[in-house]
Amino acid sequence: MPARLGLSAAFRSLSIRTNQLPQQQSIAAAAAAVVQARTYITDSTSSSSRTTPPRVQVQQQQQRTQPYSTNPPTESTTNNDAGVEPPVEVTPENAAALAQLSEIAYGVKTANVSLEGHKYGLPTLPLPSELHHKYRYSEVVNHATKLLMKDGKLSKAQRDMAMILNYLRSSPPPKLNPARPLIPGHPPASHLPLNPVEYLTVAIDSVAPLIKLHGFKGLAGGGRSLEVPKPIPARQRRSTAFKWILDVVNKKPSKGSGRTMFAHRVAEEIVAVVEGRSSVWDKRLLVHKQGTANRANLNSPALLMRGQRK
Amino acid sequence: MSASNCLRCLVRPSAVTLAPRQILQAGAGAAGAGAAGATRTFTATASPNNQMSANRPQKLRFRKVKKKGITPQGKPPLPGERKAYRKKIVLSNNNALPVAGLETLRPNDLSKQKNVGTVMALPEDVVDALRATEAFKPTQCWGIFRQPSVLVRQETVDLIKKMDGAAADGKTLRLVVEGNRISGKSLMLLQAMTHAFMNDWVVLHIPEAQELTTACTEYSPLENSPLWSQPVYTLKLLQAFKKANEKVLSRMNTVYSHADLPQIIPINSPLIQLINSAKEADGAWAVFQALWRELNAENAGRPSILFTLDGLAHIMKMSDYRNPAFELIHSHDLALVKVFTDCLSGAHKMPNGGAVLAATTRGNSPRSASMELAIAQREAEAAKEEVIPQRDPYGKKYDDRVEAVMKSVEVLRLKGVSKAEARGLLEYWAASGALKKRVDEELVSEKWTLSGNGVVGEMERATLLTMKG
Repeated sequence: MPARLGLSAAFRSLSIRTNQLPQQQSIAAAAAAVVQARTYITDSTSSSSRTTPPRVQVQQQQQRTQPYSTNPPTESTTNNDAGVEPPVEVTPENAAALAQLSEIAYGVKTANVSLEGHKYGLPTLPLPSELHHKYRYSEVVNHATKLLMKDGKLSKAQRDMAMILNYLRSSPPPKLNPARPLIPGHPPASHLPLNPVEYLTVAIDSVAPLIKLHGFKGLAGGGRSLEVPKPIPARQRRSTAFKWILDVVNKKPSKGSGRTMFAHRVAEEIVAVVEGRSSVWDKRLLVHKQGTANRANLNSPALLMRGQRK
Repeated sequence: MSASNCLRCLVRPSAVTLAPRQILQAGAGAAGAGAAGATRTFTATASPNNQMSANRPQKLRFRKVKKKGITPQGKPPLPGERKAYRKKIVLSNNNALPVAGLETLRPNDLSKQKNVGTVMALPEDVVDALRATEAFKPTQCWGIFRQPSVLVRQETVDLIKKMDGAAADGKTLRLVVEGNRISGKSLMLLQAMTHAFMNDWVVLHIPEAQELTTACTEYSPLENSPLWSQPVYTLKLLQAFKKANEKVLSRMNTVYSHADLPQIIPINSPLIQLINSAKEADGAWAVFQALWRELNAENAGRPSILFTLDGLAHIMKMSDYRNPAFELIHSHDLALVKVFTDCLSGAHKMPNGGAVLAATTRGNSPRSASMELAIAQREAEAAKEEVIPQRDPYGKKYDDRVEAVMKSVEVLRLKGVSKAEARGLLEYWAASGALKKRVDEELVSEKWTLSGNGVVGEMERATLLTMKG
């Protein structure tokens, strides 16, 4: 059952047709036969209705109550030229193509080159990123999956990530802890399980540290390194946060055995992060405290001189 | 200096002592025989034992760096706890959206042609019964949806119609469900069981055939018989059977007197009482035999029986059990397996009609050349092909007993679902909130094609088990 027949397809099918023109009635009957028999929930949004010519659509709606009817509607037979025999073999595809051609010929519809000849039409440009195979997953999910990976086994990591997302999907809404505020602008807790990707993103972004401490060797005098706080970009913040989460997960004893064991431990830790129970929050706090304490080192003469030398 | 040494004796420079080799040898041969002063004093004070060790090159120590192990926190899991977690089955998800217009199955729904392509919910009492028989498997995606529901396929309707027809004629449908991986074989059994439960059949289900033959449950020889019983498994099976079929069993009474049972069960006592008499594994086999005889009683108003088994290949080979002569026991010599194979081969006729269904398995299944050949032969016969597959003349792995059992079974081969069925499934997933896309012809076509022309499990992988969320 074709979704819609293109202009080129119409010409192709015409070329193998007999020289007789089909009647209006058989066109209508064939167009009706194209209509699907069952009505679905999503019928109103089906892609085929997007590009169907308006007149045919009206006929389809009339015919919807009695699909697959071979009897032509009586009112359309009035236009027929008397004496012209209906063609012996008119396939539904052929008739639909002819109907389209007649639409174009009568000026009801202009031929759209970008749509004709494609079964599902051309996609609108620019393509959404999910249509590029390298960017098909959410940025955070992709990033976290690569961090989950062990021994280069990406597909195993991807399966684990899918199980993590399914765990989040079926877990009850988290009870947020006001002492551990999540990232500003996060959705309400009741919405999180409905969108597991967002759940994961909120968890990772909330515990991500803003800074890291850069140790300049020997600059503090006496061979000690000078710890200087440094802001880090978003990707590195997420890396750090997810590695902290994985550190905690790897230290946890496993509850069960089997393939879901690791994924469920990670997922439980992510829920713990969102609920403010995880020890990852302490790590973040520690890094921020150290950064605040070492703020003065930014103006350390040794560091400034080092900068001048360069 | 060290370089020349190194080249001569092929020892690492770091391993050689600082003193030159010749001097060392001299010191070892005759103490204080006019060599370098330092060496002389050293050899003079050292004992002969120490002398030798000093002369030898330093021993390299490659000590393993000990990894810091994970310190166990809390108490370790109890025996069986980890397995219970692995086998845990979650059948509902309160976060999933309730699907509007989802109908609950009624007794005849699975045999109606108009329901093909629709997803229908399992009734609650049937869910309990199915759970008791272990028909749900942990690898299936029940936990994503609000309510356990199944897609009615064309094959389902065909199978159910066959079952109903056989039961109406008092015959037994003997059928093997075959198909590629994740093509829905176990779910076909589940649907057959659902139909049986809804229509007051008696259902006996062996959820994993490998539990019977991989020597993981106890076995003991039966008296006056070449067969072997598996008492612990039989007891477990009896209890699951009772739990699942309580509603039907409560209406039935015994018609035979069972003299060989340890507990006296008079005639016309409830069948539940007979099952309850199996308190320990020891008497379980005798009770099972008595129960089987009762269920097959003629003219006693007994319901039809559905006997199902998942993982057929596991019982179509030598088992891992051994007899006292340390020879492997054939799977068909295990008493419980023999009950099933007798039904499947037609040697035992169920007087009240019913069905014997077996599903093959493709993950973790042993090769059984005879079973595969028999399935191919039955398919060729059903298709009325001219050439029926024959044994490989050089093959040695064929088994006559297996081929005898599968001589006259029917084969139901599962392939992908049609696009209309795929659409029904995808719409259900979308309505449950598991698939966040507009379901149109393009999406259905995409998923159907991606999943190898509609293999259901692959469709599930491509849609539900992805990282798209």
